[in-house]
Parts: sequence; C-alpha cells; structure tokens
Amino acid sequence: MIKVENVHKQFGAKNVLCGVDLEVRDGETLVIIGASGAGKSILLKTIVGLIKPDMGSVKIDDVDITKCSSLDLHKAQKKIGYVFQEAALFDSFNVFENVAFGLKNLTSLNEKEINQRVVQCLAMVGLEKIEHLKPSELSGGMKKRVGLARAVAYQPRYVLYDEPTAGLDPIMSDIINNLMINLRKYLQVTSIVVTHDIKSAYKIADRITMLCKGEMIFNGTPEETKHTKNEYVRQFVEGSSCGPINVDKTFGMGRI
Amino acid sequence: MTKKNIIQSIQLRLFSRKMDKVFFGKLVSFLEGLGQATIMIAETIVCIFRGHIPIKSTVSQMVEVGWRSTPIIILASFFTGMVLALQVGSATTNLFNEPVYVGTVTGFSLVIELGPVLTAIVVAGRVGAAITAQIGTMKVTEQIDALYTLGTNPIKFLAVSRFLACFFMLPILTVIANIIGIYGGMFLTTSLWDVPSSIYWSEVLDFMTVRTFIHGFIKSFFFALIIVIVACQKGFNTKNGAEGVGRATTSSVMSSMVFILISDYFLTSLLVALKIK
Ligand SMILES: Nc1ncnc2c1ncn2[C@@H]1O[C@H](COP(=O)(O)OP(=O)(O)O)[C@@H](O)[C@H]1O
Ligand SMILES: [Mg+2]
Repeated sequence: MIKVENVHKQFGAKNVLCGVDLEVRDGETLVIIGASGAGKSILLKTIVGLIKPDMGSVKIDDVDITKCSSLDLHKAQKKIGYVFQEAALFDSFNVFENVAFGLKNLTSLNEKEINQRVVQCLAMVGLEKIEHLKPSELSGGMKKRVGLARAVAYQPRYVLYDEPTAGLDPIMSDIINNLMINLRKYLQVTSIVVTHDIKSAYKIADRITMLCKGEMIFNGTPEETKHTKNEYVRQFVEGSSCGPINVDKTFGMGRI
Repeated sequence: MTKKNIIQSIQLRLFSRKMDKVFFGKLVSFLEGLGQATIMIAETIVCIFRGHIPIKSTVSQMVEVGWRSTPIIILASFFTGMVLALQVGSATTNLFNEPVYVGTVTGFSLVIELGPVLTAIVVAGRVGAAITAQIGTMKVTEQIDALYTLGTNPIKFLAVSRFLACFFMLPILTVIANIIGIYGGMFLTTSLWDVPSSIYWSEVLDFMTVRTFIHGFIKSFFFALIIVIVACQKGFNTKNGAEGVGRATTSSVMSSMVFILISDYFLTSLLVALKIK
C-alpha cells in the first residue's frame, strides 16, 4: 500500500504541492489527472523518493521513505517501477542494455533468463528486433515504450506511470492501456497513472483523483467522475477552456 | 546637500546593497558547491573502500582519460620542451656567448612545474569538460533519476570509475609529458646549437633527485582530484536543459583551471617547506 500524507513541496516562492493526501490500495489502479504544471510529476517523484518533500510523509508498505535510512529507501525503490514522462533512456546503452539494466541490478536472474525477459517485455509493448538500436535511433513513441518495458521488466509490485500514452498514436495508446490492465489482472501490480488522456483514464482506472492547486480536489470511480458536479473536474473532463481552472484566454493579448 | 546629491547617495547605497547581495549569493553558492563536493568525495571513497568498483567502466574511462589524451599531451609537451630550451639557450647565449644549463633548466621546469600543470590544464579542458557534459546531460534528461529508480547509486555508477581513471591516469600522463618535453628540449639543443646530447643529458640529470620527481608527482595527483571532483559536482548539479549543460561545462573547465593554478602555488609552498623539492 502506498500512503501519502500531507505532503508539501515548494520551489523558491512557488508552492507546488500544498498538503497532498493519497492512498493507493494493493492491486488498485489510481489515475491522477490535472492540468499541466499542476505538480503531477513532482508528486510521483516524491512517491519514489527522488524528491524530498518539505513536509509530510510517504509510506510504502508502512515504511516512511522520507525519513528512513538509505538502505530502507533502496529496498522500497526496488518494489517500484517508474515510467518517466520523457522516457529517460540511458543513451550510452542500446535498447537491450536499457531494459536489462534493472534486471541485472535488482534480480538474481542469470544471463539466459535476462535475455528471455527482455525480449518478452519488448514484445509486450509491441517492439521487436530493436534490441541493438541506440535510443537516439528511436522515435519518441518507441522510446516511451522501451521506458515502459524497462520499468516493468523486473516485475515490481508498484508501477508509477508518468503520462504513458502521451505522444502515442491512438492504436498504440490502446495497446499500452491493455498492457496496464493485464499487469494488474495477472501480476496484481498496483499502479499510479498520471495522464491527460481521459479516455484512457476511464478505461484503466479503479479510481480517479484530480490534482489542482497543490491539493487533491476530487476522488472517485470513473462512473462518479463522469457524473460529478465538481466544476474543476467537469471542465477538465470536457476539455473546455471556460471554467474555474484559470487559463489566459487572451494569449497574453489582454495586457496590450 | 542638494537634492541631486541626496538622490545620488541613495542610488549609491542601493547599488552597494545590490552588490552585497550578488557577492553573498556567489559566496553561498560556492560554499554549497563545496559542501556537495565533500559529500560526493565521501560517498565515492566509501564506495571504493567497500570494493564497489565497476571494473569495466573504470577501464573504459582509463582508456578515455589516458590513452586518448596522449597525442595532445605529446604534442603540447614536445613544443613546450623546445620553447623552454630555446628561451634558456638564447638567454644564456646573450650572457655567456654560449648556451649553458639548457638541460638543467628545461628538465627542472618540466618535472616540477610545467609537466604537472600543463597536463592538468589540457586534461581539464578535455576530460573535465566531457565528464561534466555527460553527467549534466544525464541529469537534465532524468537519466540520473532513472538510475536511482533502477536501484543504482549514480555516484557509484558514474563518479567512481571517473575518479579512479583521473587519479591514476593524470600522473602517468604527466610522466609522459616530462619525458617528451625533455626530448623536445634535446631535439632543439642538439639541432640548433650543435650541443652533443650527452652534455644535454648530463645537465638534465646532474641536479635531479628522486624528490624532484615526487614533487611533481604529488602535484599531479592533487590536480587529478580537483579536475574530477569539480567536473562531477558541476555535472550532478546541472539544471535548465541544454543551456544549463553548456553553462555547467564552461564553469567546470574554468573552475578547475583556476583551482589548479591557485592551489599550485600553495601546494608548492607546502612541498618546499617540507623539503620535497
Ligand atoms: N526543479 C524545479 N524548480 C522550480 N520549479 C519547478 C521545478 N520542477 C518543477 N517545477 C514547477 O513545478 C510545477 C509542477 O511541475 P510538474 O510536476 O512537472 O507538472 P506536471 O503536472 O505537468 O507534471 C511546474 O509549474 C514547474 O514550474
Ligand atoms: Mg509532468
């Protein structure tokens, strides 16, 4: 179980997270929606321990990773796979070495098993025969899928996805959605998915929550989300520029 | 006081306060960097003593730092040796009508001073820049974060191999620079003034002791530490995308050169005081 309590994070004068509470039960898929710049990536990074919050706690299986020793933090990180928004592939390694990286460090598989697992994971995200290519030779969508394969290859119990379907074509997005559903169904993976893609959110989510102004302002099932009266959520789901979420609709021309 | 004077004095005061802020900002960020560097050194040394040494990447870094720097070091030190001999020879010709002590001055200058410093500066420009640019790019593209999430300590993965490579390769490069530089001096002395090479060699070796070598050697170990620590620290603290990588790289090379030149003076004073000369 992942439990986030009252997390605050400030960058300079900017309050990005102001008291986020979040609970993800085992085997559940939680989708976080929110406008760009709302702090979704920062929240995910806080959950894996890449960013230390100014205040509050993040508990992974009852270990508070904001206060524990680096050894315990390391143990907790082993349980988590992280899919980066921009893939973050190691560009000095080829695709095979990228996917095998976590397997070599975090599992005791032998070379043959690692080979098999890499091929299997790449096939899972619809990629074949690209093991020898360098990340610079891949398209954006392919990088993203390799990043996904790398994060799930060592079969972590928790997987955090940062916009896994952004930048993919609709067919590939659906393949990734199914992959996330299958990971949950067959391997009981617990996931947190950050996404802008409402269709995908409805398809994969057990629960949807919305981050706005540094707080979680909504929490409900996909069904509840569709019929909510919460104006922020309504605006986001309908994709409208009119509503309580402030956007500068004059494109800066208001100042002229 | 006139109104104008008052305004001027206020402006001046505001300006000096602004300068204070800039100065203290710089000081704070320097101290911050120093702190981070200290933590990094500590972590690196702990990794090395625990035997967490990535052999394969250490070897490839050694090739990168040592082998690939050799041509430029040979070129630079050969010409430095020649120019030293030329200067000494022409100066002594003016004074004594013949070139004397050319080997002695060339050899001494190279072994205790120019060899270590020149090599360190070349390596700072070549290797230090490369280290900062690579680690900095990995930082801004979140590859460093990815290392963490895949259970790898970035210090162990990136810093240890580079640390060892610089620490062992820079002194070796320095020795190469010394030898090639002395040969450069010999080449010039024998060809320009027809001094027999045996005389040149006896001039070089007569006054040189083991301590002279140790003096240069200690310096080059120290410079290696400066280069690799500054480069890694700047790399790991890179921010703001491609522009930030550029800035970090420039600042890495500049800082290590400045630190090398300044610390050279103090290190030399210390070694002289300890009679290692
Ligand atoms: N290192 C940083 N320094 C300062 N501000 C940052 C930093 N990282 C993120 N921010 C700010 O935090 C906010 C949230 O960022 P992020 O979590 O990436 O947004 P998103 O919800 O689109 O993923 C952004 O407005 C960004 O300006
Ligand atoms: Mg984001």
